[in-house]
Amino acid sequence: MEELKKDISIEETQADFSFRKYAWTQFKKNKPAYYSYKVLVFLAIIAIIAPFIATDQPLYCKYKGVSMFPAFSFSNNCEIKDPQTGNIENIQYDIADWKHMEAETIIFAPVAYTPNKTDYDNADYVSPGGKQIFITAAGEEIEMPTKFRHWLGTNKAGEDVLSGLINGTRVSLTIGILSMGIASLIGILLGAMAGYFGDKKLQTTRGSFWTFIIGLFFAFYYAFIMRSFELADGFATSSLSILIELFISIFIFTAISSIFYWLGKLVGKIGFLSHKVFIPVDSIISRAIEILISMPLLILIISVAAIAKEKSIVNIMIIIGLTSWTGIARLTRAEFLRISNLEYIQAAKSMGFKEFRIIFKHALPNALAPALVAIAFGVASAILTESALSFLGVGVPPTTVTWGSLLNAGREQFSAWWLVVFPGLAIFITVTIYNLLGEGLRDALDPRLKK
Amino acid sequence: MCGKISRMFRYILKRIFIFIPTLVIITLLGFLISINAPGDPVERMVSSAQSGGEVGTQSVSQMKDKLFWRKKLGLDLPVFYFSVTSYAYPDTLYKIGDKPEREALSRLIADHGNWNAIEQYHNGLIRFCDAQLFFKPDTNQLKGYETNKVIEDLNQIKFEALSLKASYEEAVMQAKINKIQTLLNKYSFLNDSKRLFDQVVLDHQNIKNTESKWKNYIPKIAFYKNNQYHRWLFGDGGEFSKGIIRGDFGTSYVTKQPISEVIYSKIGWSLFFTLLSVILAYFVSIPIGVKAAANRGSRFDKSSSIVLFMLYSMPSFWLATLLLMTFANPDVFHWLPASGVKPAIGYPEGAGLFEKIKISFPYIILPAICYTYSSFAFLSRTMRVSMIEIVGQDYIRTAKAKGLQENTVIWKHAFRNSLLPIITVFANIFPAAIGGSVILESIFTIPGMGSEAIFAIQNNNYPMIIAILTITGFLTLVGYLISDILYALVDPRISYK
Repeated sequence: MEELKKDISIEETQADFSFRKYAWTQFKKNKPAYYSYKVLVFLAIIAIIAPFIATDQPLYCKYKGVSMFPAFSFSNNCEIKDPQTGNIENIQYDIADWKHMEAETIIFAPVAYTPNKTDYDNADYVSPGGKQIFITAAGEEIEMPTKFRHWLGTNKAGEDVLSGLINGTRVSLTIGILSMGIASLIGILLGAMAGYFGDKKLQTTRGSFWTFIIGLFFAFYYAFIMRSFELADGFATSSLSILIELFISIFIFTAISSIFYWLGKLVGKIGFLSHKVFIPVDSIISRAIEILISMPLLILIISVAAIAKEKSIVNIMIIIGLTSWTGIARLTRAEFLRISNLEYIQAAKSMGFKEFRIIFKHALPNALAPALVAIAFGVASAILTESALSFLGVGVPPTTVTWGSLLNAGREQFSAWWLVVFPGLAIFITVTIYNLLGEGLRDALDPRLKK
Repeated sequence: MCGKISRMFRYILKRIFIFIPTLVIITLLGFLISINAPGDPVERMVSSAQSGGEVGTQSVSQMKDKLFWRKKLGLDLPVFYFSVTSYAYPDTLYKIGDKPEREALSRLIADHGNWNAIEQYHNGLIRFCDAQLFFKPDTNQLKGYETNKVIEDLNQIKFEALSLKASYEEAVMQAKINKIQTLLNKYSFLNDSKRLFDQVVLDHQNIKNTESKWKNYIPKIAFYKNNQYHRWLFGDGGEFSKGIIRGDFGTSYVTKQPISEVIYSKIGWSLFFTLLSVILAYFVSIPIGVKAAANRGSRFDKSSSIVLFMLYSMPSFWLATLLLMTFANPDVFHWLPASGVKPAIGYPEGAGLFEKIKISFPYIILPAICYTYSSFAFLSRTMRVSMIEIVGQDYIRTAKAKGLQENTVIWKHAFRNSLLPIITVFANIFPAAIGGSVILESIFTIPGMGSEAIFAIQNNNYPMIIAILTITGFLTLVGYLISDILYALVDPRISYK
């Protein structure tokens, strides 16, 4: 305790003391959390470079005097002119048989397999330590060369497990970013509004209130009901078109509701319509949170995923994001309740700053800490949910390789222990590091909880 | 005391009152999912009854069947109490039974906005289709033509006309119209149909000529007293449906059994495992948490913390698969059965309850472990934290200073107060156990609601999915209610306001 006090006093005397730095030093003292952070960075790097470390296309290849970088190239083929005969040979990167090519130099990726591609010679559950065969160009059957080994074995179809794991890292990290991005956007916004305004602070006139409600109806009509067929078609085509159509709808919605918002300001000046009313923001948002946490979320997500016409992992991430913001919202709300009574906020109010500015510029930075903790735990549970869904095979297209789908393949053949152990370990480690990170963040950001 | 009980009673009533809107929203969500489900349920019911049949031909009995199922499933009603559409829409579009047809019509309205012309076109098309469906050329008319060719062409016309009813894209419609016209022109005996179709072509032109797109920009709200949601909730007076408030969840698309029957036969095992796991978790976690907190910093505390943390992060489906792989695998240890809750042949005849439990016991071990461990880890951690908090308080120090024994202090003074947080988390673990059942039941093939949910999803059996969603939502709410009441009972400091 004595030591801790000394630490703080030294830091406080420094001119450039900031809470962020203090929190970071506290975080670094928490060894498990700090190492989890390092593992997470490592996983992120793997996820980013996954297409270059687990692919059957070589990183570099020199063939008949022509240098190629198939793994890095945007185009999919290369035409090579034979200097002697003048024949043009067209090499298509994704289907070329690189492993049997008689090239001058060829450098393969560390894992020379693409997740969804089968190695017919090693199909039917080849174990990591067992005999793996390689058939040379001459048709000779030899022991697998080290650089082509399936380090973690193969599944029934002969797909490389390690390659699937490496690409699964991408999926699990994207979940963290996309679902928790959506969840924290909704959660922080709603939590901040509920905590800051409470039930008795957001005051408006009767006229503007009703004008705005009518405006919301019109906005909803023009943005979503009138465009329902465009939206439906968008959902049926591709993820990109969903996003475009949704963006257009949201734009229309915002535009119309803001027009009515300004109109409401005018209407609110007329006679009896200028009567003041309070909007119970906190009650509304708290009820919404209460309702959402009473839902059986996994079953809800499964049902929604089941009716989606287009099975895609992005849809699952969006659904998870839309349903898991409650924890973040509750913590942000509690923090805002505390902050909005602090003196510096009163000071900002008395200086006549706009509410928007006070919320986002003055209060929010101080209220983010608990939300950050909730986000870390939220990522862990989002990864668990996604892997459970792909384990069950619900809502995830069969072509997408994720940790959950790899694990599911292991259920069919218990002797193929590598299909169960490694993907499960990957999920377990990732979930653990996010949980440790969450604990570390909580201890570092909220000294009151540290004991 | 009396006042306190009545206050508590009022508090509980108030909690129940708050649950009602939540339940309504859960049913609404479920309903929303079911009406947006892909495919036409009527088509499914009829086609699963009579598989096969030629494309584009619908026998009279099939049409009757469809009408029957449409009425039985309540699809002849508007969807909800109100609908927000554009001014161009008629109030009665829901009466058109065929789902693709209805969608084509509403898309046409969205594109052109003149319902009158569209209705005329549609009615003309229906007349033409009906005439074509029952048209059979007699032998006189067939003279001079190749019989097979004629039948093939007639079928072609039927097919095109029926698919024209469900088309809305201008180019597609025009192509179909042209095709039908060329086919009709081939045969002189089709003159009557041709006249009918010419009218359809005129009406189709008319849609484009009298376009009124502006009508789509005016919103309109229509109210319906009798609608699908109302019927789904309250039934239709007992003719086909009693409504979910009387426990009638409709008919399964797969087996055509009433869904409530299926669920009543399955809910037992789900509740058994959920409750068993919650009870076991409480029994195991309380001593561990208390011991860890009482000897804070000891080796037991540290090691149990690490193990519990790892258990907490462990995905249940992974643990389940690992356990199955180890203990139900003929290659490693074949100690326990891999699936089900009882032998495949069932219990021996005349077996008593005790004997049944004895037979089922090995089947229950692995699922029970998987159901329990995550909530057990969570509970132990909560217990430890709350115990540490209590042990640090003044009255505990006083008790120790008085010279009371360590055990008395912990179990008599500290323990009771540290129970509060662990009771409130009942509200967290109960829903988690219900949700987790989806995964675990399908791994261990337990005949419960969770595996039924997965089966329903794989077979697009939407009424079943919605029923399960609603029931689990209801159970979750009950879990919250129980934890509220327990909390109110245990803590005298709570005021019931």
